[in-house]
Order: sequence, then C-alpha cells, then structure tokens
Amino acid sequence: MKFQKSITFISALCLVSGLTLAAENSTGPIADINPPAKGTVTEAQALEAFARIYEVASHPRCANCHVGEDNRPRWSGPSYAPFPPGQNWRYHGMNVNADDSRIGAETMPCSTCHQTTPDLDSAPHSPPHFGIDWQLAPVEFEWFGKSPNEICEQLKDPARNGGRDWMGLAEHLVMDAGHRGPVLWGWSPSGDREAAPFSLQQHVDDMTIWGVGGQPCPKD
Amino acid sequence: MELSVNGQAHNLDIDEDMPLLWALRDKLNITGPKYGCGIAMCGACTVHIDGQAVRSCSIRASEVNGEVTTIEGLGSPEAMHAVQSAWKEHQVAQCGYCQPGQIMSAASLLARNPNPSDETIDQAMSANLCRCGTYPRIRAAVKTAAAKMGGA
Repeated sequence: MKFQKSITFISALCLVSGLTLAAENSTGPIADINPPAKGTVTEAQALEAFARIYEVASHPRCANCHVGEDNRPRWSGPSYAPFPPGQNWRYHGMNVNADDSRIGAETMPCSTCHQTTPDLDSAPHSPPHFGIDWQLAPVEFEWFGKSPNEICEQLKDPARNGGRDWMGLAEHLVMDAGHRGPVLWGWSPSGDREAAPFSLQQHVDDMTIWGVGGQPCPKD
Repeated sequence: MELSVNGQAHNLDIDEDMPLLWALRDKLNITGPKYGCGIAMCGACTVHIDGQAVRSCSIRASEVNGEVTTIEGLGSPEAMHAVQSAWKEHQVAQCGYCQPGQIMSAASLLARNPNPSDETIDQAMSANLCRCGTYPRIRAAVKTAAAKMGGA
C-alpha cells in the first residue's frame, strides 16, 4: 500500500555536475557533495570527521531504527524518558517488532502507524513520518549500542554497507534526503524530538572528509 | 476532496490537515472507529485502507490514497465477517470500546497470514490495547476466525 501522494512540489533529483551532487526541492539544495581535494585531509582531520559522524549515527534519531537481529526498534533520547533502572533506552512501546522483513510485513506493518508522506511535521508522541516507507535499516547496519570502532568498521565495509565506497555513502545521504526520507527527517524530527547533532550538510561534508582522509577508524 | 468509504464515494469540504478519524466520525457520521489516544498508541481508531490496518487518527484524510473500510463495512449483522462472527462466538467484548479496532486489526492480519501462531497473533495485536483485558479471548477468537476462513 502506498500513501505517498504525488510529490510534485519536490524535485527529488540529484544534480551531478563534476564532483558536486545535490538534492533539491523547491526551496533549493538540501545538501551538496563537495569533497576536499585528494591529499588535503590528514588522518587526524579524518578521525575528527568520523567522531562527528559517530555522534550522528549513535544519536537516537538514527540509532533507534538501526537495530540488530531482534528487529525491535528502540525508544531512546530525552523525549522517551524515563527509562527502566540502569539503562538509557527502552524498546519501542506496544512490543513492536518489525520482523525479519524489517518493515513489519509478517505481523504489523510499520505503516500501520507511520504513514508515508513528504510532510515531516508530527505532533509530540505521535508516530513520526517521512517521504519513504518507514522501516528498520538493514540488519547489517546495526548501530544501536555499538562503539565508534564498530560503526566505523561497518561503514567502510562494502559487504555491510550496501556495497558503497565513501562517495557512495555521501550520495546515499543526499539521495535519501532528496526523497524526504529518514536522513532529512533526522535533522527535522518535529514533535519535541531532539534533532541529530550538527546538520545534514555537515554530515555529508564529514563523510567526504573521512573518505578523502582514508576512512581511518578510531580504536575503542 | 474525495474519499471512498465502505464502497461509497464522498466529496468532503474539510481542512487539509483533518485526520481521517475526524472525517469519518464528524463529517460522515461513521462512528465505528473510536477516538482513544489520538497518537496511534491504542488502536481504537483502526480502519483498513486497501485492506491494511491503519490508525485513522494519524493519517490525514487528504493523504488517503485507497479504499477505506471501517467496521461498518467489514460485515453486517446479517452477514458478518469471519472475525466478527468469531468475536461474537467467544463473547470477546466487555466494555467494547476498543473492539472495532481489534477486529479490524485481526481481519488485516488474517488477510496476510491465514494461519497465525499464538506468538504471531500476540505480536500483530500488541498495539491494540484493551483495558478490560480481553486478550485471551481475542487470541482465541482470531484462531477461530482463521479456522472459519480455512487457514487453520
């Protein structure tokens, strides 16, 4: 079932011009890919960029649906407190389980509550929504509770990142945002939810800085 | 805007951000779907859109792209849906407020999975709350409905 209306006011397109790629809507570019020149990024700078990437990836807006084989989305972050004693998160309410399909197809689809709509605004505690079908990230993309080193190694491993090099990761961010998907929503979650840190553009920039700098990973 | 509910087309002059539940109850006088929480956490407002269970409090009527079915359109007293029949057989309802949503969720589950296990039933129905605690009867009725529909 598709609730997605014709998104005529969005031109979710990627403009490739040289090394610049941008997702646009009617108000202008959502994010650009402008990698630094080869050889201009030190390892230290690349590690600093990855530290910011980790802050984003481990943030509740991103990590809550980047969960492992139990297929159970999490509720973490200030809008979901209080939590059980001794932990800073809880499982998604109502015992929601997205099943092996990661979209709830076997029992209760995510779209029972999370509608597909280009409108990112939702009220506090109501089910948020964005422009593509709500779902968990692939199980290989497990971030929730993972260390900086673990997330870094996953992000640079094509076998566990959707077959992408660093430019592919940056393009994925821009493409998803162009469809008003979870990447864009992470910085515009509305409803009193805490947004991911920095900005989408900073995150795309950090991905390319980390990439040009050789994708170094921090030690845990 | 146009909205098709229970096989009948309607032309509504409503605010673009009006939730489907409000359109059904206040504009079309279709009061089977109930207001419980208003934020998709209780399931009392559940309807079908093209056969899939959806919380009608959390989708704008203007964003509906499909046929809406409410408890009134699922079956009738004279020709009940198998789930409704099983609900009656097991006398599931106590206060009854949540039951339209329960039944719509159960019917949607059985359309996708004609022979669900107890675990699958519990998982699929976990977001439909019943403060009377009729959950054991709900599970039994879903299994009876599955048998009536030929899946078990």
